[in-house]
Amino acid sequence: MMVRADKTTVDTNTGAEDVGLQYRTNGLLSQLALEVRLAVSTRSKRRAGDLLFKALTATLALVAVLPFFLLLAEVVAVGSAELVGSGIAFLLTNPGPGLHGGIANAIMGTLLLVAVAGGVGIPISIFAAVYITEYTRPGLLRSAVEFAADVLAGIPSIVFGAFGFTFLVGFLGLGMGLVAGGLTLAFMIVPTVLRTTQEALKQVPVSLREASLALGATRWRTTWSVTIRAALPGIVTGVLLAIGRVMGETAPLIFTAGNNLQAPTSVLGPGSWVASMPYTIWAYISDPREYLQVKAHATAVVLIAMVLAVDIAANVLSRRLTRRLV
Amino acid sequence: MAYEHKIEVEDLRTWFGDRQILKGISCYFEDNSVTAVMGPSGCGKSTFLRTINRLNDMVPGFRATGSVRFEGNDVLAPDADVYELRRRIGMVFQRPNPFPMSIRDNITYGPKLHGVRDEGELERIVEDSLRKAALWDEVKDTLDSPAPHLSGGQQQRLCIARALSVDPPVLLMDEPVSALDPISASKIEDLIVQLKKDYTIILVTHNVQQAFRVSDQAAFLYMGELVEFDKTRRIAEAPEDPRTEAFITGRIG
Ligand SMILES: Nc1ncnc2c1ncn2[C@@H]1O[C@H](COP(=O)(O)OP(=O)(O)O)[C@@H](O)[C@H]1O
Ligand SMILES: [Mg+2]
Repeated sequence: MMVRADKTTVDTNTGAEDVGLQYRTNGLLSQLALEVRLAVSTRSKRRAGDLLFKALTATLALVAVLPFFLLLAEVVAVGSAELVGSGIAFLLTNPGPGLHGGIANAIMGTLLLVAVAGGVGIPISIFAAVYITEYTRPGLLRSAVEFAADVLAGIPSIVFGAFGFTFLVGFLGLGMGLVAGGLTLAFMIVPTVLRTTQEALKQVPVSLREASLALGATRWRTTWSVTIRAALPGIVTGVLLAIGRVMGETAPLIFTAGNNLQAPTSVLGPGSWVASMPYTIWAYISDPREYLQVKAHATAVVLIAMVLAVDIAANVLSRRLTRRLV
Repeated sequence: MAYEHKIEVEDLRTWFGDRQILKGISCYFEDNSVTAVMGPSGCGKSTFLRTINRLNDMVPGFRATGSVRFEGNDVLAPDADVYELRRRIGMVFQRPNPFPMSIRDNITYGPKLHGVRDEGELERIVEDSLRKAALWDEVKDTLDSPAPHLSGGQQQRLCIARALSVDPPVLLMDEPVSALDPISASKIEDLIVQLKKDYTIILVTHNVQQAFRVSDQAAFLYMGELVEFDKTRRIAEAPEDPRTEAFITGRIG
């Protein structure tokens, strides 16, 4: 019976009705009823199981992405009032009395901080990656650096903030401002860019390097003109993703960058205190005044747009470089 | 310095770490001819070539004794100018390895490295090298497109052109067609025969038929030993060593 029931379920793949018919002609009416019921129920049970699983995974997928869309919807819904109301002035004016006005200080601040972070962090990480990958043999030094970079990449950003405060602001006596804030962000960029650059360099075939050496090039020239060039799409992607990430970091800046209602006026000292978009969002959102809540959301919209723009640039640039080079 | 052959090798022994690869090789390479270095995979053919242009220097633990003289000067001497050496001894690799740049830049890379700056001169070198490599007609209108977009056979001819761009009297070719389809391969074989008019060519191959088709002299390398070295025709017709015969008839390799 069990065996037969199993058989029927296999047959029912083509349709329970046919099976039913087949049994009726055999004249086993009473059994037929049971068989069909069994077959149909097994079939529908399986189908139900399938459906259930599908529904479950779909729901989970939805749960996974929903927060992003809810967040976006909420931020845009609240923030758009400000963006529509003030228009471009929101981006181009500094905050006035009572923090009315725009967020030019924050936009300018974030751009400056990222420029300092990138200007310092990118060359350091790329040169470090080149040195380790091209000029050391696999071994203890290489493993140690890779391990350190991996650990650093996973450290919460508030820890970088604390380190920046103790080491840069305090120990080195830089004080808060553009330099300390930018360098703290640079510390965060280094591990990511170093590792992505390293991976990109490792992808370059040895035979390319050999072709250059065999023409009489020095190692340095080979690295610069051939290896780095071949790895460029990967390096660029790593750099832009790292920048997109630090653009949105608040924690490293709280104790290191200070704040400013206008663009910084000096490189060091109190004049170098600098605002940033994430810091501004944080400060405005923790303010009870209603209109600052709105401004915080509007700032978030602008920040999301900027980060998105960097991500898209990373994609486009790396694809274009790949097409041109490889 | 006076010398009889452009490249003369004497009792060359090489090691990777403790492992000896070449076990006392003595031979020479004649001007304007193709010398095939044949032998089964792993017998040390590539190691031999890469010792001649000192590319093995890059390998940790590599060591060589004996001598390789290029135009009478010892290549293995610690004070030999490897950059000038490699300019004068070109190399073509097993897999086409064009640089990730335009066809033109692939060709000008070498000359620029060695100080050619004049645009007109570079222009001339590009055309000249591509013509010698029988690639000019196919790429003359697309010199600025990326070299990696070329077909495999074209890429390999580009690599030959790139090697010729710095005007080396000697060309080392390490199984240059083994990664190509038969049609591209035979084009390059023809090209090699053309090129020998102006160059000293050392062609590594594990393909006996190819060695017989294109070479004038042949060396048979077996497990790091030079088993036989003579005119190709003589070796093809009457191999002296049973190992050579076994290789030629396909019983080893
Ligand atoms: N970089 C290297 N390090 C250590 N051993 C090597 C290296 N290159 C080649 N060998 C060894 O040397 C031997 C000869 O290799 P190779 O010269 O490439 O042979 P062939 O070109 O004749 O196939 C092989 O056993 C190979 O494993
Ligand atoms: Mg080889």
